[in-house]
Amino acid sequence: MILETKQLSKNYGPIKAVDELSLSVEKGTAFALLGPNGSGKTTTLGIVMSVLKPHKGSYEWFGKEPGPETYRRIGSLIEIPNFFNYLSLKRNLEVIARIRAAETSDINRVLDETGLLKRSSSRFDTLSLGMKQRLALAAALIGNPEVLVLDEPANGLDPEGIAEVRNLIIEQKNQGKTIIMASHILDEVEKVCNHVAILKKGKKLASGRVNELLITDDIIVIDCDNNEVLKKGLEEKGLVRSAELKDNTLEIIPASGVSSGHINRFATEKGIVINQLYIRKSSLEEQFLKLVK
Amino acid sequence: MKRLIQLEWTKISSYGFFRVILILTLSLFLLTVFVFSRIDISVPGFTWRNLFRFPDVWSSFAWVASWFNLLLAILVITIAGNEFSGKTLRQQVMTGLSREEWLAGKGLLILGLAFFGALMVTLAGFIFGFIFTGELNVGIIFEKISILLVYLVQAIGYMVLGLLFISVLRTNALAIILYLLYFIMIEPIIRGLCPAEIRPWFPVKIISHLTPLPEFFEITSGEALDNNFMTFESIGLVPRQLEGSITIIMALVYISAFGLITYLVVKKRDL
Repeated sequence: MILETKQLSKNYGPIKAVDELSLSVEKGTAFALLGPNGSGKTTTLGIVMSVLKPHKGSYEWFGKEPGPETYRRIGSLIEIPNFFNYLSLKRNLEVIARIRAAETSDINRVLDETGLLKRSSSRFDTLSLGMKQRLALAAALIGNPEVLVLDEPANGLDPEGIAEVRNLIIEQKNQGKTIIMASHILDEVEKVCNHVAILKKGKKLASGRVNELLITDDIIVIDCDNNEVLKKGLEEKGLVRSAELKDNTLEIIPASGVSSGHINRFATEKGIVINQLYIRKSSLEEQFLKLVK
Repeated sequence: MKRLIQLEWTKISSYGFFRVILILTLSLFLLTVFVFSRIDISVPGFTWRNLFRFPDVWSSFAWVASWFNLLLAILVITIAGNEFSGKTLRQQVMTGLSREEWLAGKGLLILGLAFFGALMVTLAGFIFGFIFTGELNVGIIFEKISILLVYLVQAIGYMVLGLLFISVLRTNALAIILYLLYFIMIEPIIRGLCPAEIRPWFPVKIISHLTPLPEFFEITSGEALDNNFMTFESIGLVPRQLEGSITIIMALVYISAFGLITYLVVKKRDL
């Protein structure tokens, strides 16, 4: 077990930021904390990274009460990148390397991996938001830690940057590292993580494998010359679990064992001409919104 | 230890404000003693120059240097405050630095700055002492040099109190303003409201009295005067003060107390 929390709670005045939260993250998983803004993701990460004090509950890293040396094995990026404004990129990473007792030669490696090598002697406050985010990621990679704790790692990046950062994280995951990531972007979670816990108002709503929890039945979208008749026919025949008319299309979730071919044949038998028929993956957003409602 | 020194040095060595304050402290101190040394007040029986002669040069230079302790304290407040407000302390703790280690690093910074000040006084003291003292012997050179240790304690006291202010308030501007107000207004007012017996025991009173105003009359006349005659205290120029050794012990007690409170505050609070 990499990380285990037991009934963590933290209040900010009357607001319960984290409420009896129990999580467990196993070695080698890419674990996502998913939730809307203000659901307690960052607070949870702040607590397990020892910078925030929980009001109740406990947590363990690597099966032990953590000490400072525990955190030298964990690369972290929480909220915004926090660096010394007046120091160069290289100096800033030197601070991190010294704390971790890592080789200072590691600095050039992580700068190279994050595409910042050319800027290594610029002052931190001359960087764009995207570059700051990359530097934060570079800092997290110093000393090659076995766990990465990342809070909205793609924050502030342009589409190209998002893809690069994502690939970097996936690469780390493929090297066998454990990733713990907070995000409100479902797409990111789906692409990077294999386990997820969904949070709302500091409580855990659900948790499990990403492909079990967030992906469900496909939807068949049909556009034909008589949507209503087809809908009625499919329902009477018991070929659909649900059917819904939307604008000019009919969206159905087929009963088990029913494929789009069956639907097509049925329509032809009824004399209905299908103009268009395609399968749409049920979007994560829909699933997610259903869960947090 | 070595790791903490390297870490602290990495953080401050290319910080512009750090260099500016050090250069400012050094140049203001040298300028002040240089200008004072050009003044020649000759009243029969009193020689201004005695202030620059061994062994009294140590106490007069330590006293001048103590004016600039506030600058060093503001430097400590700013350096530590940057790490609170820029959340770099938070990042360092997440990276594996314990809060105790962070404080130890600041302790080393304070020691380093205090030694810088002491070195400044030592070098200037030797230079001016050798120039102004007529008859030299080893005994006279080192006679009152122990005041340098007292200056060291004082500089540490100013800076540790600054560290306490910034650890509690966490905002540079607020900490600096309240720190200065505490020195020049808040404590003096509180002292004024207290009975006379308690007044000498307040922290700023104690710490600033470590390097007292040199007894000008005594030094410039070149004779050890009767203790009850013409000292600032006896003629009412300065209020009653504690004895030197008690002052030093009390200063150390206050420094420990400030350090302990700072530790508790940093240990307990969210970052």
